[in-house]
Amino acid sequence: VESWLRAGAVATAVLIPVDARSQSIVYGPARIEIGAQATGVVTRESPAIHGRDLTEGYLTQPMVMVMASLWSSALALTGALDFEGITLERGELNAGIHGEGYVDRRHPHTYLHELVVSLQNRFGDNGLSLALGKGFVPFGTDDPMARPFEKYPINHHLAQILERAVAVGAVRTRRVVLEAGLFNGDEPTSPGDVPNRKRYWDSWSSRVTLLPFPQGEIQGSYARVRSPENPTGGGADHRKQSASIRLEDAQHSGYGLLEWARTTNYVGSSRTFAFTSVLAETWARYGRASGALRYERTDRPDEERLADGFRTPLPATDLSIAGRSRWSILTARMAASFEPAKTLSLEPFAELAYIRVSPTLNPSAFDPAQFYGSDRIWSVSFGAKVALGMRHMRMGRYGVAAGGQRGMKPDGIDMRDMHDHGAGAATARTQQ
Amino acid sequence: MIGDLLRPGVSSFTRSATIVAALAIVACRSDSPVQPPTTTSPSLTVFGQGAVSERFTGEVWVRGNIAYTTTWGNRLAPGNAVKIWDVTGNVPALVDSLIVPGASTLGDIQTSDDGTLLVVATEFAPGSIMIYSLANPLKPQLITRYNSALTNPGVHTAEVQRVNGTLYAFLSIDPGGGAPARLVIVDLTNPAAPNQVFTAVMGSPFVHDVFVRDGILITALWNQGITIWDIGGAGSGSVSNPVALGNVITVGGEAHNVWWFHNALTGEKRYVFVGEEGPGALGSRASGDIHVVDVTSFAAPREVAFYRLAGAGTHNFSVDESRGILYAAYYNGGVRAIDIRGDLSSCDAANRSPDGRCDLGRTGREIGHWREGGPPVYVWGVQLVGGRVYASDMLNGIWKLSEATLPPG
Repeated sequence: VESWLRAGAVATAVLIPVDARSQSIVYGPARIEIGAQATGVVTRESPAIHGRDLTEGYLTQPMVMVMASLWSSALALTGALDFEGITLERGELNAGIHGEGYVDRRHPHTYLHELVVSLQNRFGDNGLSLALGKGFVPFGTDDPMARPFEKYPINHHLAQILERAVAVGAVRTRRVVLEAGLFNGDEPTSPGDVPNRKRYWDSWSSRVTLLPFPQGEIQGSYARVRSPENPTGGGADHRKQSASIRLEDAQHSGYGLLEWARTTNYVGSSRTFAFTSVLAETWARYGRASGALRYERTDRPDEERLADGFRTPLPATDLSIAGRSRWSILTARMAASFEPAKTLSLEPFAELAYIRVSPTLNPSAFDPAQFYGSDRIWSVSFGAKVALGMRHMRMGRYGVAAGGQRGMKPDGIDMRDMHDHGAGAATARTQQ
Repeated sequence: MIGDLLRPGVSSFTRSATIVAALAIVACRSDSPVQPPTTTSPSLTVFGQGAVSERFTGEVWVRGNIAYTTTWGNRLAPGNAVKIWDVTGNVPALVDSLIVPGASTLGDIQTSDDGTLLVVATEFAPGSIMIYSLANPLKPQLITRYNSALTNPGVHTAEVQRVNGTLYAFLSIDPGGGAPARLVIVDLTNPAAPNQVFTAVMGSPFVHDVFVRDGILITALWNQGITIWDIGGAGSGSVSNPVALGNVITVGGEAHNVWWFHNALTGEKRYVFVGEEGPGALGSRASGDIHVVDVTSFAAPREVAFYRLAGAGTHNFSVDESRGILYAAYYNGGVRAIDIRGDLSSCDAANRSPDGRCDLGRTGREIGHWREGGPPVYVWGVQLVGGRVYASDMLNGIWKLSEATLPPG
């Protein structure tokens, strides 16, 4: 299956017309948008592991995205192929991150990142929708791939749930969006993995989003995820909470996010460990230049590691953890946007992160200062993102939850402008 | 209140500040503190400690005056070493060590009953067992490394036992690579060429340990409890064709390890002790009880009693069958010695749990412990040999302790 997915993903990428003249192709009531992107980046971490500095280069977040809709999105398809399984098999240096068998390196996503069909009906400002497919669970905040920074926040597995077989119902009024979803609890175990059919619909989540003023969004969500880290079941269950405030100005030149997330592990009805994250990030654009700042404080479970110190057993061999560490990370970013062709954009960037880590349990089988060689880590990255065709948009919402009107992306907020404001902003205005 | 926040007159700043404050309040909640276990039983005497500080210590196996300890996980160095100790004196003396190539952690270790072989389980991929010759017990020599596609995810434990005269290793295999946990049995008649004679998927979701005695195999199957198999001791079963006789799901599941107690004083073979390995944080927290299962009928085993140490969790056992004392490694609770003589299913109502099991702690059956106070310990394994209790402590190395004293009567 993995080989077929890999071959299919490559074939699809090759078919994207490099000289595409526009982002939207219209056939009668149908509209199709296609886009592709990739980021080349070099990262140096000091220390990365066992007192050693590492410098590595990657092609990260290589994706092909498609949005197809009929009758102003009454019927819509959202798809994304992700090639990280090919380009990022060893994982990307990202101090503190963990999940899906990787630690201190971000794991590659699955080839079929998202494929969701949604049906919606609108009644003025109100509407109903139903979405079905593989994609994002109605929980938490936007996927980090659709936010300002190249390096992921390490709370990714606390604050988002993705790459699941999902069924999502949504109800929208002028100021409130309610979503509820069923999905499979098991996380992917490799880029070619598909949701475990025996686990379909064993987990659920709900999200309430308030839109109290045009440039603001407040969300709160809750999820019960059954045995996410053991695909056959029987592992610890996760009860997850998330709350956030998101602001973006009308000109799409400034953005801010304040987020709180917590995952509490349960074995049966017994509460075991809780992992909490607080994150604040902001981004602003000044002409072609943009800058961003992010602060994050996140608790991480520390697990036994394999001979490759950046990997952990998948699944774990019992219900215990080696320790729990608290990561405080301050990240700054500078970038510039260029458009050498109408549908092609280029964004060189630099990111610098200062990281402090400390154990929260004592004694612990994981002493960060001992393991890394220091309790303070520096990370610097240089790279450039190339995007073709449709710009990367906000990810994680479907149907009426994704936009205030038919055919519109999320109400008043269009993340396509986060990285390349020019063509993306023009398209957003056209759609409105 | 939320409605007030949304009124037109309320500024964006006020709305945001109110929500930020609410988030901060919610965020301040944290885990409940864990109370260290306490006890009133006598303390076991410490004779000496063999310190290990560069690695975490795993299991212990003692034969004669030689002790072998494995190492686990990743500290200053990876858990790929077997330490060899001379325990003739009070203080275990490190005499040598083995490094197992390609292993990220070592778990179980055991010698064969005739003392000729040392078998070490390795995790993770490539999971294997290392088989050493003990012609010189202080200088084990590698005979072979046994690995197959089935053992590749990792061998969690390797129980080495003889069945009808033939030596076998019972390998508990980790789930991994999309494959579920399983049991693999290999014939060690020719230790240079182990031969797989049986395998089956087992455990939900783990199989961590088994117990073999008198042609009976007892598997600890986590949330499926324990299953009793005939492998040549009770009828038509054999090692290559085990026949299930009975199963019981111990309260709470998480069945991790087993000891079938043969009471040398009475000849009774009534009780199986099951260790429950609940969630923990290595070094500081653990959970899980000792469950007592009456196996008078293999077809209908039933749990009749338990022992709980609040704030700690049990791991591996060693039983003094001649005196009726169970020694339990208890992670952050150190070592506990429990009097297991007599009828464990009989107690008055005040000492029963609501589900009818006898609470061995309440009935005063804990007769010794190590330790309370002082620097923390986290005890993985325990073994009684020659009137001394050896404890492997993940944080500190190996300890040599006195055995417990039985109360009069």
